Amino acid sequence: MRGVVKRTWRPLLAAVLAVAVMGAGPVRAQDDAQHDAVVARGAYMAVAADCAACHTASGGAPFAGGLAFNLPTGTLYAPNITPDRQTGIGQYSEAEFRRALRRGIRRDGATLYPAMPYPSYARLTDEDVHALYVYFMDGVKPVAHRVVQDGMSWPMSMRWPLAIWRTLYAPDPGDVRRDMDRRTFADPLVARGSYLVEGPGHCGACHTPRALTMQEKALTAADGPLYLSGGDAVDGWRPVSLRGENRTGLGRWNEHDIVRFLATGRMPLGAAFGGMTDAIGHGTQHMTDEDRLAIARYLKTLSPAATPVAQGWTYDPTATDALRAGNVSARGARSYVDRCAACHRTDGRGYPTTFPPLAGNPVVMDPRPDSLIRIVLEGNVLRATRQAPSAFVMPGFAAGMDDAAVADTVTFIRAAWGNDAPGVTTADVGRIRRTLSPEHPPASLPMN
Amino acid sequence: MSDDARRLKPVDVVIVGGGWAGSIMAKEMTEAGRSVVMLERGPDRSTASEGAYPASIDELEANFRYKLFQDLSKNTVTIRNNSQQTALPYRRMAAFLPGEGVGGAGLHWSGVHFRIPPDDLRMRSRVIEKYGARFIPEGMNLQDYGVTYEELEPFFDRAEKVFGTSGEPYMINGKVVGKGNVFSPSRSDHFPLPALKDVYTAHLFRKAAEEAGFHPYSLPAANASRQYVNPYGAQMGPCNFCGYCSGYACYMYSKASPNVNILPVLRQHPLFDLRAGCHVLKVELDADGRRATGVTYTDPDGKVVTQPAELVILTAFQFHNVRLMLLSGIGRPYDPVRNEGVVGRNFVYQNVTTSNVWLDRGIETNQYIGAGGGGVAFDDFNSENFDHGPLGFVGGSPVWVNQAGVRAIAAAHSGGPPGTPRWGSAWKAGMIDTYRHSLRIDAHGSNMAYRDVYLDLDPTWKDAYGQPLLRMTFDWKDNDIRMNRYVVDKIGDVAKAMGARRVNLTKREFGRPFDTRQYQTTHLGGGAVMGSDPGTSALNRYLQSWDVHNVFVIGANAFPQGTGYNPTGMVAALAYWAAHHIRTTYLAHPGPLAG
Amino acid sequence: MRGLAGIAACGTSLASRPARSHPPAPYVPRFFTPIEWAFLTAACDRLIPADENGPGACALDVPRFIDMQMDTPYAFGAQWYMQAPFVQGPDNLGYQLPHAPRDLYRRGIAGMNAHAATRHGRPFADLAPALQDDLLRGAENNRLVFGDIPSSVFFDQLLANVMEGAFSDPVHGGNTGLGGWTMLGFPGARADFMDWVDRYGAHYPLGSVSISGETA
Repeated sequence: MRGVVKRTWRPLLAAVLAVAVMGAGPVRAQDDAQHDAVVARGAYMAVAADCAACHTASGGAPFAGGLAFNLPTGTLYAPNITPDRQTGIGQYSEAEFRRALRRGIRRDGATLYPAMPYPSYARLTDEDVHALYVYFMDGVKPVAHRVVQDGMSWPMSMRWPLAIWRTLYAPDPGDVRRDMDRRTFADPLVARGSYLVEGPGHCGACHTPRALTMQEKALTAADGPLYLSGGDAVDGWRPVSLRGENRTGLGRWNEHDIVRFLATGRMPLGAAFGGMTDAIGHGTQHMTDEDRLAIARYLKTLSPAATPVAQGWTYDPTATDALRAGNVSARGARSYVDRCAACHRTDGRGYPTTFPPLAGNPVVMDPRPDSLIRIVLEGNVLRATRQAPSAFVMPGFAAGMDDAAVADTVTFIRAAWGNDAPGVTTADVGRIRRTLSPEHPPASLPMN
Repeated sequence: MSDDARRLKPVDVVIVGGGWAGSIMAKEMTEAGRSVVMLERGPDRSTASEGAYPASIDELEANFRYKLFQDLSKNTVTIRNNSQQTALPYRRMAAFLPGEGVGGAGLHWSGVHFRIPPDDLRMRSRVIEKYGARFIPEGMNLQDYGVTYEELEPFFDRAEKVFGTSGEPYMINGKVVGKGNVFSPSRSDHFPLPALKDVYTAHLFRKAAEEAGFHPYSLPAANASRQYVNPYGAQMGPCNFCGYCSGYACYMYSKASPNVNILPVLRQHPLFDLRAGCHVLKVELDADGRRATGVTYTDPDGKVVTQPAELVILTAFQFHNVRLMLLSGIGRPYDPVRNEGVVGRNFVYQNVTTSNVWLDRGIETNQYIGAGGGGVAFDDFNSENFDHGPLGFVGGSPVWVNQAGVRAIAAAHSGGPPGTPRWGSAWKAGMIDTYRHSLRIDAHGSNMAYRDVYLDLDPTWKDAYGQPLLRMTFDWKDNDIRMNRYVVDKIGDVAKAMGARRVNLTKREFGRPFDTRQYQTTHLGGGAVMGSDPGTSALNRYLQSWDVHNVFVIGANAFPQGTGYNPTGMVAALAYWAAHHIRTTYLAHPGPLAG
Repeated sequence: MRGLAGIAACGTSLASRPARSHPPAPYVPRFFTPIEWAFLTAACDRLIPADENGPGACALDVPRFIDMQMDTPYAFGAQWYMQAPFVQGPDNLGYQLPHAPRDLYRRGIAGMNAHAATRHGRPFADLAPALQDDLLRGAENNRLVFGDIPSSVFFDQLLANVMEGAFSDPVHGGNTGLGGWTMLGFPGARADFMDWVDRYGAHYPLGSVSISGETA
């Protein structure tokens, strides 16, 4: 197909309209119906681009910034992107807005930290950039909120090296356009999915590994199998591979599973945690079913990254049989039975969509155990979504289990039921424990 | 005090009490497009905090420090056995345990979820038809509910689907479909979930009850036998028989509660406003006392505020509803001397005794395994399922093993067989033997209403807000004691079939008064009952005050007399029934729904 | 005197969870005076004596539990309706005294020791076990007169707290080493029997676990 992106944009969900209306400021409209449609489309693209995940602080005004963004190089605070003229982006022209979005250049010419995923936003179509601009100017309420200075330490606090970084690693939107035009897709849904994932969705920002110099090692599926093959630590979490690896990727998730996951944060093989909670909460749960399906279908085109290909996961009942016989002699088995099995079961299969399985779970088998250790220490809140109003909370065990107990338990989980991931050490757990924020359990527990 | 109260912006509906009835009514009223304020005197509560695992698995805090229960220091009742006595305050939790906080007792109940037997709804008519009017003992205020099972059936069905109730049906649309309770009425649909598995003791009881010639069935339980999504989209986990239901928020999200099954959706509704920490002092009436104008309450800062509303729905615990009617002047207070007046009339309880069966020491009964609503029962001696003619009493009792999980402190308190000391080595041996090798069988009987058993306001003691406490005048009556003794004897037959090593049949004793020091049950009922005669009922058959048409009162207070079953299923069905008539009739044409 | 010996013999510190790494230091009561503590430790071990069925109340640190409870709102009567007037009535209408648990202990222990002194010339803690049992039975059956509280009210308070101390989660200071639960066969805070609910007649093989993660 010639057009890179099929215009699958549809009349919007009432919900997205509601977002637009709620945020409506002084509307400088001429042709109102048309204008409203553009605002609504911009609102939808802001959802698809998950702007709120970074630019809306928990409990803060929409897009007024302030969210702390922990990177290996320091803490970033996302800026205010409401149309407030003093503290937000109210003085941006559309050209300046487009340049910031696609090229990472601020209105004053300074370079944005690449926490802003402009290497991905470079792929946004002109029409979508326009819609976003109109939405942010006319559909978002201006909020005067001066965001504190970025807390990066020198030399990362100096913005001039960022310009060099940008020149070296950020794609030129013109080149991107040409690349996009060259790629063809047999299935228009896959085309739409590639646009959403590689462009506004900026999934690679978390799920693609970065080089030492911090650029993503691949920006699109066309760049090879490192794309979405699992990212570096983001806010202490290790994003998993979204490619087709059987054990550690989405090899055993079908399209429907992915669609359901993006809508509700839960499906029979797993549940959302970490950064994905916000991505679903602010973003994918508000997308159309068709767009979620487009994302799913596109992700299912990504081949497994790992070579040689590991043997596919099959369930092994050895651990289950032992636990059910009361045999808890294996390392970590007793604490698993005492603290985990109530919800995840002795068979590791959990209670699908309520309490996720650990058997065969890609997060559990990830070569890097960080996320699993962190969940054990800190717990997790599976938030309510529009389609799944019930939240579920896993308690954290940081206070009730020492590093050795966590290491034993995690080692058990990673090796039971056909899982084949290596064990973890007390030191691994200690390293993760030291990174935990003191604010746990989370300040706002769900009320059900 | 109401004159000085700050007046808030009027709303369509104010609901007093955030438990099952309140949450159901709030959901229904917001669905009808009405703005709702729900006032709850206790704190806001959720499974995530009150049910955190494993910290919440704490018997001391839950069952002995009453973490989730009513704060008696602020408000309690006074109790006496007869009107010659001075009623004394119920100062410490013991005989009954009312809840408090968002979710009410619905957060920490057990989960037994029944439909009422059809005969119980027209008990007076049925007894007269079968045995003649003279069969009714002197002083018993036997009454009909004014509503039939057929009328309520859709609302029982609705409640079960919202609660995610597990059970085995017997008859659906007149056709026998399963091995459920042969005495149960026909249903319009299956239970939403299959019955829970039998724990070992229930399994043994089922076999023995069959052998003894009875008709055992699985208790209908609002403990989900597997994961479930209810019609509101709310999700439940599966019950894993952890044994921590009664007194606990269910950490598995598998016991139905307003918090899990309704509030996740309700809290998101823009027309819904939940205010916790708000204690309602009275319902405000207009000058001629025929119409409610709102409620006055103390807010969490202790300020007295008035919330005007078009419709006032009382959904607090049974006796709090009655007390609020008395404090507000809604309906005529009951006069036991003349047997006239309606508010406070027909106060009833539940007539429960627990017997014990000891099995061979080789058999471990694992009493810590349990589900609050699970178990096996037989109804051969419940309701009008048996001929009362030669027996000479009214009422009945299901018999069951409802092993909700016996925990360690409770086991220690229960001790050993009768005659065992309460402490020392003999106690220890008896207690351990009892815990490991025995089971409990309940006779969960009805309690009839009597002319001299009633509720009114206490002349002496006050609550923390300076308002009089409610006074209970209650005692067990011969009719109910005879019923209990008759049914408990049947437990002996079952125990024999079980091959019991030892049996302790616990029966009510004639002349032994109601004892407030021993836990019995929190199934209190009546006091503001429904019916078709304004002379004997405070509420019409739609649970609407006869006297103040924009006040509806939902709860077990509406039961004209006790039944053999647990009340929650009936309360939920009555809530949906009342809501249906409010939505379909009252909102369009406010006024009395029954003439 | 025996009272201090009682402290040394009976009290141990709260084990740091989940595993203990230090030898336990003697527990120093915060509420009870040494004389009261001596009574409490002696009485607890009569109420739940060590025998062939399992540990006694002292080994389970029940006195420590009770002392720790005395610092909770419960002990101040915060959960009880304590409005006057306090009118005495028939027993079946329940507790009608103006005293919170802390008061009941102060008055009750003084009453028990007074009886011990009058009858035997020594405080309760210094009596032979059989004499201690007699006094406890006297209180249980309300045969002792304490002046301001019925002795059975004190006894019931003590017995209730002893049971709580022996069989509540060890996080509250009693049930040391999960000894109470182990003797009973109670699994504790695992709270999951999905695999066991319908294995009729099977022995449940897993030991107890505390909220803290401590296991037995």
